[in-house]
Amino acid sequence: MPLLHYLRLIDIMARMGLRADATRFFLGYIWWILEPLLWVGIFYFVFVTIMGTRGPDFLMFLATGKLVFVWFSKSVTQASNSIIGAKGLVGKINVPKTLFPMAVVQEGVYRQAAVFVMLGIILIINGYTATATWWYLVPLMIVNYVVIVACAFVGACLVCLARDFAQIISLGMIFLMFTSGVFFDVRALDPEKTKLVLDLNPIAFLLDAYRQIMMYSTAPDMLHLFTIGVGFGVLLCVMVLFMRRRSQYLALRALTA
Amino acid sequence: MSENKHIVLELTEVSLSYHSARKTFDRGRHHVLKDVSMQLYDGETLGIIGRNGVGKTTLLQLIAGILAPTRGQVKMHSGKCASLLTLGLGFKPDLSGRDNALLSAMLQGSSRQQATSFLNDIKEFSELGDSFTEPVKNYSAGMRSRLAFTTALMTHVDVLLIDEILSVGDAHFRGKALTAMQSRITGEQTVVFVSHMADQVEKMCDRVIWLEDGHIVAEGDPGEVTSAYAESVARMNNDNVAK
Repeated sequence: MPLLHYLRLIDIMARMGLRADATRFFLGYIWWILEPLLWVGIFYFVFVTIMGTRGPDFLMFLATGKLVFVWFSKSVTQASNSIIGAKGLVGKINVPKTLFPMAVVQEGVYRQAAVFVMLGIILIINGYTATATWWYLVPLMIVNYVVIVACAFVGACLVCLARDFAQIISLGMIFLMFTSGVFFDVRALDPEKTKLVLDLNPIAFLLDAYRQIMMYSTAPDMLHLFTIGVGFGVLLCVMVLFMRRRSQYLALRALTA
Repeated sequence: MSENKHIVLELTEVSLSYHSARKTFDRGRHHVLKDVSMQLYDGETLGIIGRNGVGKTTLLQLIAGILAPTRGQVKMHSGKCASLLTLGLGFKPDLSGRDNALLSAMLQGSSRQQATSFLNDIKEFSELGDSFTEPVKNYSAGMRSRLAFTTALMTHVDVLLIDEILSVGDAHFRGKALTAMQSRITGEQTVVFVSHMADQVEKMCDRVIWLEDGHIVAEGDPGEVTSAYAESVARMNNDNVAK
């Protein structure tokens, strides 16, 4: 399949997925904005109104962490089920198997674009300023995207091999959420532990980098970011090669397992 | 007749088996096709006949390159492409018939413009009228199969693989579908046609292969093979009655 046609298909499948999603709900596309707003509302209610000890800073801290984390977890979880979910198609045409996770990831990209705009607005309303440091968001988002795609491919293949991986992946996401500093500041740990978490968990590093940039106008550790980008970039290429070579095998697994 | 024509596709001792999750069959190994060898000639209409579950669809999936054989070789000659024409190309129920048709056409290799240009023909032939822009989830079963058949019909490929699709819609649409199908088959198009209905196969095919339990039982003249198949089905029915 020519690359241009492949990219067009991803775009059109993603947009149709979004449209299908929107027609299912009475509020349609409004949910794009409403869902993240409700998250922030829940955090406000729990941490500010009920617990009362934390200020708006903590609210923004949570919102940034959670909304970025959800981009990763939702994309990867949904993409993991995308090949077996498209069983009907997989048994009828020989298309590149990367198409299905890519379409799901692309859907997430369009949704997340709206979320980032919203997040920026909320931060600015709360007194944070968009400085030139925010330009660091560009490489950060690109690396974040590469991480998502690589994990989506791995997840989609694993679920093809055995459905049980779908369970493990959703549990793994909960584990990741608690270990990536969505609800706590990794920098508030012992310095050694902070380093350990940031070194071992790329998602923790990414979440922290978003906060450093958007809340504290501090540039992230670019070498660390670059390393993550290259590492997951290599994984992505390996997965693409594997999925191309073993396309028929994945189809057989998706159809029969 | 077929011997002096070019071979477009050749299967040599092809077997396909897989591990099923449940430990039935041969220690969990499920054998779908066993040592199947066959040739397909340019421009012919080859029928594959057999009861449900004997591996007909799997054979088509091997020919279309959707699956790879566990053993043996599937060889497609000189850059030809095969496409499986089958009902219900993974419709998304929340999308309109129009969107689904567009997506199907693009997935089968048409460009956006080509796909868009098919849409009017699809709408007209499928007789869906205003429902064409309604979500597919609101369609009746007949409307769905009409959309699926029409969308599939619009694709143009070197080798057309047809999987039991002529049982669609009401009598009126079925007649129309059959005519449309026949006009494609009688041309230069190379076709592999799968069915469990002997009379359909006998009417439309130049050559017939009878598949039973994963291997070829008989191959050759449509009249002979289909009547042998019909006899075996009748015998099986009689045995069942006798029991």
